[in-house]
Amino acid sequence: MVDQPLWEQIGSSFVQHYYQMFDSDRSQLGSIYIDASCLTWEGQQYQGKRAIVEKLASLPFQKIAHSITAQDHQPTPDSCILSMVVGQLKADEDPIMGFHQSFILKNINDAWVCTNDMFRLAIHNFG
Amino acid sequence: MACEKEIWQKIGEGFVQEYYNQFDNTNRMGLGNLYSPDACLTWEGSPFQGREAITGKLVNLPFKRIKHIITEQDFQPTVDSCILIMVFGQLQVDDDPPMAFHQVFMLKSQNCAWACTNDVFRLGIHNIPV
Repeated sequence: MVDQPLWEQIGSSFVQHYYQMFDSDRSQLGSIYIDASCLTWEGQQYQGKRAIVEKLASLPFQKIAHSITAQDHQPTPDSCILSMVVGQLKADEDPIMGFHQSFILKNINDAWVCTNDMFRLAIHNFG
Repeated sequence: MACEKEIWQKIGEGFVQEYYNQFDNTNRMGLGNLYSPDACLTWEGSPFQGREAITGKLVNLPFKRIKHIITEQDFQPTVDSCILIMVFGQLQVDDDPPMAFHQVFMLKSQNCAWACTNDVFRLGIHNIPV
């Protein structure tokens, strides 16, 4: 049995932690971002831990559940980790929707933080 | 609000346009030139390491015709001066029905040119629990 590469272990552990926190208490998410972090949420840009947490905490739903269909992790040339997640989510009583999210993780002072985060719902504009 | 696009957006858009144009309209042999020598590709969960292996995978994909339509694309600069790109759209292969796809690229400036060091591709297929 081959051990998972380190970047996969770190990436999948981060992903599990992220969605667990997101689905239970989004205001805790600040711990994973730093002041240099960027979030693009449905095309809108947010810069820095404070702005990011403010955006996530103010999202207009009471309940949310993410279900991960697939996740991929790669090491980058600057010793970061790129993670891509494809899944489905359900907010309140809304119908289930597909989503797509990417993260870059960087090791700063012995902790892995998220420096880049991009989220999109999987909705196409037909015609 | 600035009307000018940020530089990373311009570079990212240029890359995305070139990538899908080559993918859809050529034999895909030239795609390798868009990657750095040590680039990683994860294609539907399978890893490919290095420009040669990546080109081999892309050139040998089993279809005659393919067309990508991009629904959304997002760009961000990274702290290490790279560019992160996320693309979402639909693709149609031969006479199959259109399918959603998700792709992420990371670009790095090497020898005064931007090269793709990381590429992750997934079809947007979910296993819907019964």
